[in-house]
Amino acid sequence: MKNIYRILFFCSGLLLGSCTDLEENLIGEIDRPVSIDEPSTDFDGGGNGGNDALSVAYSKLRDGSAGSDNYWAIQSVSSDEMAVTQKGGDWYDGGIWIDMHRHTFGPSNGPINNTWTTQYGSIAACNDLLQTNLDANQTAQIKVLRAFFYYRLLDLYGRVKIVTAPGQDAPQSTRAQVFAFVENELLTALGVPSVSASMDLTNSPLTTEVNPYRVNQYAALGILAKLYLNAEVYTGTPRYTEAADAASYVIDNSGYILCGVGCSVPNPGKRPAVDSDPDNLEGYAAVFAPNNQNNPEIIWSIAYDGVTGGGMNFAHMTLHYSSQFTWNLVSQPWNGYSALEDFYNSYDDSDARKKANFIVGPQFDYNGSAILDYAATDGQLELNYTPEINELEPNASRKGGARLGKFSFRLFGRDNQDNDMPIVRLGELYLIRAEGRARAVNNWSLAEADVNTIRTRAGLGPIPGLNADSFLAERGREMFMEVTRRQDLIRFGKFDDAWWEKTNSDAHKALFPIPQPQIDASNGTLTQNPGY
Amino acid sequence: MKIMRLKGFVLAMALLCLGFAEAQEVTGKVTDDQGPLPGASVIVKGTTNGTQTDFDGNYTLDNVGSDAILVISYIGYLTVEVTVSGQSTIDVVLSEDAQALDEVVVTGYGSQTRKEITSAVTVVDNEDFNQGTVNDAAQLLQGKVAGLSIYNKGGNPNEDAVIRLRGISSVGANSSPLIVIDGVVGASLNNVDPNDIESINVLKDGSAAAIYGTRGSSGVILVTTKKGTPGGVSVDYNGSLAVSSIANHVDVMSADEFATAGGVDLGSRNDWLDLVTINGTTKVNNVSISGGDGNTSYRFSGNFRDSQGILRESGFKQFNTRASASTRTFNDKLKIDFNISFTNRKSEFSYEEALRYALLYNPTAPVYGEDSPFQFDSATFGGYFETLGLFDSYNPLSIVNQNTNTGDRNEFTYSANFNYSILDNWELNALVSQQTNKLTNQDYYRTTSHFRGNATSPNRKGRARLYTENGDFKLFELYSTYKQTIGRIDFSVTGGYSWQQQNQYNYFLEMGDFPNNDIEYINALEWSQDLANAGFISANSNASPDDRIIAFFGRVSATFDNAIFFNASLRREGSTKFGENNRWANFPSVGLGADLNHYLELDNVDLLKVRVGYGVTGALPSANGLSRALYEPAGGNLSSNQRTDANPDLKWEEKAETNFGLEFKMDRLSTTLDIYSRDVSDFILEREVDVTIYPTGRRVENSGKLRSSGFEIAVNYDILRNEALRYNTGIIISRNKTVLKEYLTPQEMRGSLGAPGQNDTDMIRIKEGEEIGQIWGPVFSGEVVDGSQQFVDINGDGQLLTNQNNALDPEGDFKVLGKGTPDFELGWTNQLKYGNWDLNAFFRGAFGHSLINTYRAFYEPRVGSQGSYNFVNTKYADPSITNAKFSSLYVEKADFFKLDNLSLGYTFNLGENKYIKGIRVTASGQNLFTITDYTGSDPEPALQDRGSEPDNGGFTTTAANDPLIPGIDRRNNYFSARTYTLGLNINF
Repeated sequence: MKNIYRILFFCSGLLLGSCTDLEENLIGEIDRPVSIDEPSTDFDGGGNGGNDALSVAYSKLRDGSAGSDNYWAIQSVSSDEMAVTQKGGDWYDGGIWIDMHRHTFGPSNGPINNTWTTQYGSIAACNDLLQTNLDANQTAQIKVLRAFFYYRLLDLYGRVKIVTAPGQDAPQSTRAQVFAFVENELLTALGVPSVSASMDLTNSPLTTEVNPYRVNQYAALGILAKLYLNAEVYTGTPRYTEAADAASYVIDNSGYILCGVGCSVPNPGKRPAVDSDPDNLEGYAAVFAPNNQNNPEIIWSIAYDGVTGGGMNFAHMTLHYSSQFTWNLVSQPWNGYSALEDFYNSYDDSDARKKANFIVGPQFDYNGSAILDYAATDGQLELNYTPEINELEPNASRKGGARLGKFSFRLFGRDNQDNDMPIVRLGELYLIRAEGRARAVNNWSLAEADVNTIRTRAGLGPIPGLNADSFLAERGREMFMEVTRRQDLIRFGKFDDAWWEKTNSDAHKALFPIPQPQIDASNGTLTQNPGY
Repeated sequence: MKIMRLKGFVLAMALLCLGFAEAQEVTGKVTDDQGPLPGASVIVKGTTNGTQTDFDGNYTLDNVGSDAILVISYIGYLTVEVTVSGQSTIDVVLSEDAQALDEVVVTGYGSQTRKEITSAVTVVDNEDFNQGTVNDAAQLLQGKVAGLSIYNKGGNPNEDAVIRLRGISSVGANSSPLIVIDGVVGASLNNVDPNDIESINVLKDGSAAAIYGTRGSSGVILVTTKKGTPGGVSVDYNGSLAVSSIANHVDVMSADEFATAGGVDLGSRNDWLDLVTINGTTKVNNVSISGGDGNTSYRFSGNFRDSQGILRESGFKQFNTRASASTRTFNDKLKIDFNISFTNRKSEFSYEEALRYALLYNPTAPVYGEDSPFQFDSATFGGYFETLGLFDSYNPLSIVNQNTNTGDRNEFTYSANFNYSILDNWELNALVSQQTNKLTNQDYYRTTSHFRGNATSPNRKGRARLYTENGDFKLFELYSTYKQTIGRIDFSVTGGYSWQQQNQYNYFLEMGDFPNNDIEYINALEWSQDLANAGFISANSNASPDDRIIAFFGRVSATFDNAIFFNASLRREGSTKFGENNRWANFPSVGLGADLNHYLELDNVDLLKVRVGYGVTGALPSANGLSRALYEPAGGNLSSNQRTDANPDLKWEEKAETNFGLEFKMDRLSTTLDIYSRDVSDFILEREVDVTIYPTGRRVENSGKLRSSGFEIAVNYDILRNEALRYNTGIIISRNKTVLKEYLTPQEMRGSLGAPGQNDTDMIRIKEGEEIGQIWGPVFSGEVVDGSQQFVDINGDGQLLTNQNNALDPEGDFKVLGKGTPDFELGWTNQLKYGNWDLNAFFRGAFGHSLINTYRAFYEPRVGSQGSYNFVNTKYADPSITNAKFSSLYVEKADFFKLDNLSLGYTFNLGENKYIKGIRVTASGQNLFTITDYTGSDPEPALQDRGSEPDNGGFTTTAANDPLIPGIDRRNNYFSARTYTLGLNINF
């Protein structure tokens, strides 16, 4: 009897201390931001973005910037550069890509929502970091980075919330207010009240140190140049002179050079058994190569890496399933994105960029043998990418459309590519300066010198009688896949035009809708853009 | 000889353990008006000395005092007491107790007689369990309890059934009922063999479950295992042998049909389904030894199961053992019960995907590369042919033959219960229990496997994965019950404390790049060349916090006049899963019942009872750490990401339920009716939140309110009660309707169809004020133009908006295409007894639900560029449709009525056999026929959705299944099986 009491008291005594203890000790989780005390430096693709306290925010650039279903995709597919066709049972996906091409998208489109959440997730990382103990240079860098994310929101959605502290809601701003915020943040980081040809940046907390993965003065100026170039669209007030001045400052004062003759890297996609594969990638092609991390033209880029910095998936997005065997990729591609025929045809055959930007014609495997597509129903078993595409939907050819080859592929490539994605590069700054100078006084001949610089690098002669249309076409050829085409078409008043299967001419489509899930989650603090 | 020796051995052991006791022996026979009653209990009153009658109703009881009183009882019969008075033979005739109201029913933390219960409780005894091959204890109950839905879509022997009580009870973690085995709360149903179960009670409504608080929201299933009976030794053997084959699958084209229909003809003719399936055999052997003497009883059992699935290389071998002992000491004041059980299951999961690829693989493709119509590098693929360059297409036979996917699971449970009678009317109960489980899964893809093995990769072939999980659950409960009678009122008061702690940790490792194809799995991890190429190794480890639930509870029961019954309980419970201010919650219940016939005294009516109950239960979120933001280092140390957003305000999901019940019994008829209504408020769901404030854009929140209502009817009738022939039939009907009353957003779409080509195609609408499970999409007009389905302009506005973008747009042309949940479910039992023969037929049906037949949605259109897949070819197939778009065409009514179980048994008359007390043989068939219009493999409702992720050969994620979007019949479901079983039962 006593023993039993003893047992019971023993049992309950064991528990007495923790009788009502409900503290949650999360041993299997990290419940605070972690710092990287011992950064690893051994990266497979060399795409090392630097390992300082700022990495947490810079790494956010990778999200959606070179993959499907997000920022890159909605910018690119809504333009006349490319499309994602419905191939019978493949790539219909609820019509999201057909809507994107035809400009019939609405607030419930998934990628439009993904883009929004990605930008704000990135902004949150910046806001978190700005709460920590940063020096003046670091603060300036992160504020420029954050301004860059707001520049994207300004460009895509216009009316957004400007959130500058963690967890703090803000009212929805007008597009002009967002523009002013971005401009002010960039000017503050540059230490000047305004941009001019003769400005003095000595007060800028930013440095002039060359590092493609960090913001220096030239990177900030590059973003500012893009902002001013589109200012008329964003606010109604043209700022072309300042765009040209910002670009010109970088061209004139920095050490960056256009990657032309003699600027080359070994070709990581060279098949040993295929003689026609070049041993090296030179000039324009080198700027976007898998090993482009030290390219002298790149001012600021997104550090992608197959192992440590995933997010660039162009090989999978564009290549036919069987093209896996050309590069012997680790996994099977998806056969989604391809260039529009008219866009492909806008290149001259002698344009070095045509070969660099597209994959067309018969395809051969790693050993140089023809690749066969046994699912082909047209009797043509050999895989052959044709520039023409029979239709957008529903039964587009599996082989139709030139493929996106600009960010070229390495042999044995993994699911994520190693190529860095330029945000600011010298080539674009030439074009901004050209356009800015021309538009400021409405004289396109002022653009010719810079345009010819670009054309020379592509192995082309000058364009006689340059005008707005031929400038836009030249800009398109140069900037393919670099998410400027939608902006360019809007700025040149051509976004409402018809192209291929797109007939919609609604002017309000120049702004994307505020995503419906965000309006639903906002408790009435977000309202929809006009027209949706 | 062997049997004799075994019996002798066991006897000797028992005698050694328990010692001899001197007294007389009594033998006799227990019968009812129709013959012998096997299994009746004969106990010496006031002791635990007793036995059970054998198959012929005979019993022998040792150690009986000459003035002792024998208590003879049998479920459903009036108990009889006989004074021994020196007699050595006592025969007893029992008469049926039509009321059976004094039967004691186990409820939460105690027991009550059946008539005292004021809530909806259903008891299923082992004689009413489903027959045949039952590997999962839940299947014993399938169709037997009104309102309890048990579905195992397909016949995968390694997959547990989905159990839902009264529709969606919870959106939180515990969407399956709480399992309580012999008083151990939160026990694992995997660690009890169906053969060891004596009875199962299902507490259906909130007033019954509230005493279990947070874990009772989805109902409570109380399992009572078989126990030893004092008196002699009884050895029982059960064995069965079963054969399973595919009962149904989705229709596809034969090789010739495919070639004629324009498919790419690769020259061979294969029936892939035939190649990857077999007739699976299942062998079950169960031995139990039970007995006892004086104050002690015991039972040991060993259960051996060897089950083969219909898919090649799938199945499991399981060993389970259970031991229980019970003893009384300290003048019988202290009763100690000790239970221990152990299960080891070695599973071969094989790959369900192979069944899917078997349907879809080009039927003209050769099995082996050497038969390829063109030059093919067979060596790369282990000799097998592969259709390279096609999305999501793998040689099914290569998948199952080249790769292995195995698991090894050990579960161990012990419990010790101490019950001390302080006074005759006051007892104290303490329960200590611990369960541990350890799981190791290994899957291995050879360097020559195209499926997940990277065979085409030049520099990284093969893949090996290892997952281990260790779990531990500790339980301590202390409660006390005091009973008192004051005048015409009988009181009972219970109070107690419960402490539960769950811990879990797991490790995951994945590597590839093996030096050659011949190394075995166990060497693969060691010799992976990934070790030199760190980026490819995938490793993961997790440990849960001490996940604790602590509760204080109390209950008052009162019975007035033995006819009016009152129960009330309150549980205050706390969990570590919530933020500091929201940890504790109260869960009350109250119930009132009245035996009206006690006052009305109607002719021929045995029982007329009404009862009403109200109770609140709760549910927890599945994850830990939701009240805090969590982080992860990301991108190879480049950065640290916020992984989750904190919700310090997260609180209990609560379910409040009101249940009205009516029980009626007269002569041959008995019926029970339950009507209920319940609100699940603050239900817990991960959802999209304002990303401007919450950086990850998603958070687990209290998201809304569900209201469900329904009724359940059970009717039982003895159609024939002749001496020669008895026929009893029972029918249960249940109906449930669940409406979304409140939600954080007015409406949203969920449940994407998937790849290829139908991502971003959400098919289920969730809308405030509407029923759960609305299948939502465009309507096919019946017309096909240029290979495309034409849709109906539903709103008649002259424009057709049927892209996903317009799904919730008022201008969009979408409508409700069906409902994922059934209107009502039916179970119909028939028991026929003729002489030594007995026949059971059990029919089951569900009506009013629809299913999205995803196989058809992807593969029925004659997509030209997919001419290398086989085509699904049902009666709905329209060869003119050449592209795939989700529409009403792929939503089918899935009402069904099936013969779930038919079994025939024969009990041998052995006469006075010295060694064998009884032999019974059975033959049964499961899933014999199904009447349905559904063209998929299995018309059972899909009560929850696991998402489209695993549909393209991807690995199944651990993400929880979504209960808010029923109705999607996904592509990976194992095909349903038909099983024939021969069973043998011998009692020594």
